[in-house]
Amino acid sequence: MSVVSVEDVSKTFGAGHTAVTAVDHVSLSVDAGDIVLVMGPSGSGKTTLLSMIGTLMSPTTGRILISWQDTSTLGPAQLSRLRLKEFGFVFQTFNLLSALTAEENVMMPLVTAGVPRKEARAKARMALEQLQLGHRLRNLPRDLSGGEKQRVAIARSLANDPRLILADEPTANLDAKTGQDVTLLLCETACRENRAVIIVSHDQRLRTAAKRVITVEDGRLTAEEPGEHNLNCRMHPGTAPS
Amino acid sequence: MLFLAIKNLVQEKTRLLISVGGVAFSVLLIMSIQGLYQGWSNKIGEYIRTVPADYWITQTGATDMFHTPSVLPLTVRDFLTGVPGVASAKPFSGRRVAFAHNGKDINVYVIADDTEINVGAPARVVEGKAVPDKGEIIIDRVVGRSENIRIGDTIPVAGRTLKVAGYSEGGYILSFSFAFATKEDAESILQLPGATNFFLVTVKDSTDANEVASRIEADPAVDAITKDRFVENNTNIVRDTFLPIILVLLLIGIAVGMTVIGLTIFTSTIEKAREYGVLKAIGVSNRRLYTVVVEQAVTAAVLGYIVGADLALAVSAAAGTFVPEFITEIRWLDAAWIFAVTLAMAVVSSLLPVRRLARIDPAEVFRA
Ligand SMILES: Nc1ncnc2c1ncn2[C@@H]1O[C@H](COP(=O)(O)OP(=O)(O)OP(=O)(O)O)[C@@H](O)[C@H]1O
Ligand SMILES: [Mg+2]
Repeated sequence: MSVVSVEDVSKTFGAGHTAVTAVDHVSLSVDAGDIVLVMGPSGSGKTTLLSMIGTLMSPTTGRILISWQDTSTLGPAQLSRLRLKEFGFVFQTFNLLSALTAEENVMMPLVTAGVPRKEARAKARMALEQLQLGHRLRNLPRDLSGGEKQRVAIARSLANDPRLILADEPTANLDAKTGQDVTLLLCETACRENRAVIIVSHDQRLRTAAKRVITVEDGRLTAEEPGEHNLNCRMHPGTAPS
Repeated sequence: MLFLAIKNLVQEKTRLLISVGGVAFSVLLIMSIQGLYQGWSNKIGEYIRTVPADYWITQTGATDMFHTPSVLPLTVRDFLTGVPGVASAKPFSGRRVAFAHNGKDINVYVIADDTEINVGAPARVVEGKAVPDKGEIIIDRVVGRSENIRIGDTIPVAGRTLKVAGYSEGGYILSFSFAFATKEDAESILQLPGATNFFLVTVKDSTDANEVASRIEADPAVDAITKDRFVENNTNIVRDTFLPIILVLLLIGIAVGMTVIGLTIFTSTIEKAREYGVLKAIGVSNRRLYTVVVEQAVTAAVLGYIVGADLALAVSAAAGTFVPEFITEIRWLDAAWIFAVTLAMAVVSSLLPVRRLARIDPAEVFRA
């Protein structure tokens, strides 16, 4: 079951002699439960590829299907809705809303999707408790450590039960140990619930979590190998598959 | 998304304070000047409203008490009482007169208090004598207080020296006020031998007032003006003098309010550009984001309105006790339209930030 299908996609920035082809004829299919680690040198087009999959940027050529739907046929409002329902985003710089508490940050996508406030609060609380942040619900981002912030961001990315989580360098602003712990937590939570994850990272140690490792060079997919994937993906009692 | 708007506002307390302060200032300005306008408009009509008349009969062309002088021979009374349907017709004499006091020119509108026919009495006497005797005058308390003229003082009016016998109330209009002297004294001040300024006509209960008026106006020398109309004509004097000033202050108020909200919301939007980009990325539609910005502006504006309106009420109450000329009336209607203007200011000043918001590229959020 393919969650996302990238079909011969290229992205060129600019035109003429200054044109940069950031992504060059890439095809890729990601299934439910996949944990894909994307590696490659700086400037190789990883972020650009991730942005296109996340519908934040449109390809110059080729097409991207999300749950069999061609994203190029959708308008801005429909894409917005699609991102809200189908995607979770995790960023290098956490990108929490500074005015909101941890709990409210997680509530944000739920409330936007129309979940009643009370229910959204209960869900957010549960998600944060599962990520060992039950004692930080009322804290503002500025009072949280980097690892805590990223865990809040993970809870936020999972809030609407997305089918696909996109994470760009989620460990880059964390110390090695915290970065790895947090990312493993993300992968574990996702695969337990049969969600797909695409992680862009330079961190070799994440191979232990990945099911697939893809290498990008100069905008092209140059290699794909299986990851080690020794995660505990058994379901926790009480968490239903999506 | 109101909660996000409020959280964003509260997070930046200084900025919130500035925008609330700016709106409060403009509401204070607009409401005070409007209250003053309304207060004065009312005052000018207040005395005229107490004068018993269905119609004011004026010399043709005179529409109010202040602009064109109206002088009618006393013989007009015989004509008026002869008109079918007229119950009574009484002369009313009064004119604006200036006198010097402590080196300052003071304007009073001297009215003949004719006790025989019950015309020209003050609306309310609050201190001293209610009816002037020969050689006496009753002036408005506002003038007494602001010009420091006490009961018992004498003032020179049109070559005569009159003793202030009492203070009346409800007769103060802008730069001058009503004053009341005996019929004889008033006649010599106003110099109206065999004439008066207006006639007050009452109409018999059973007759059609309009018909009576047209019968009176058959005489080309006079106009018959209904009491309401006459009140309005006099009130319009305030409107004509004040409307341009009010409009200018209204525009200043709106400009200040809009600039302050606009700038604070705009800088906040720029500072939070990344967060708005994140919201776009995670699937919040542009429309909802615009709403967040408008809600911030409107919330700040509503807070500013509450502060500004309270200040306006406090200021006009306080000023009224210290500066007697400061007569204000803040009506619900005015509070309502000023509120509507405040909301409109908030919405219009969100337009620029909203345009900025529209240009934020959500793909930027992946750049560190
Ligand atoms: N908006 C843009 N306009 C012009 N060029 C761009 C833009 N975004 C990316 N590029 C270029 O495209 C290429 C790929 O960039 P991208 O950010 O996707 O690389 P990356 O693999 O994520 O690198 P890193 O590991 O440093 O994050 C780079 O040469 C970059 O300069
Ligand atoms: Mg990158």
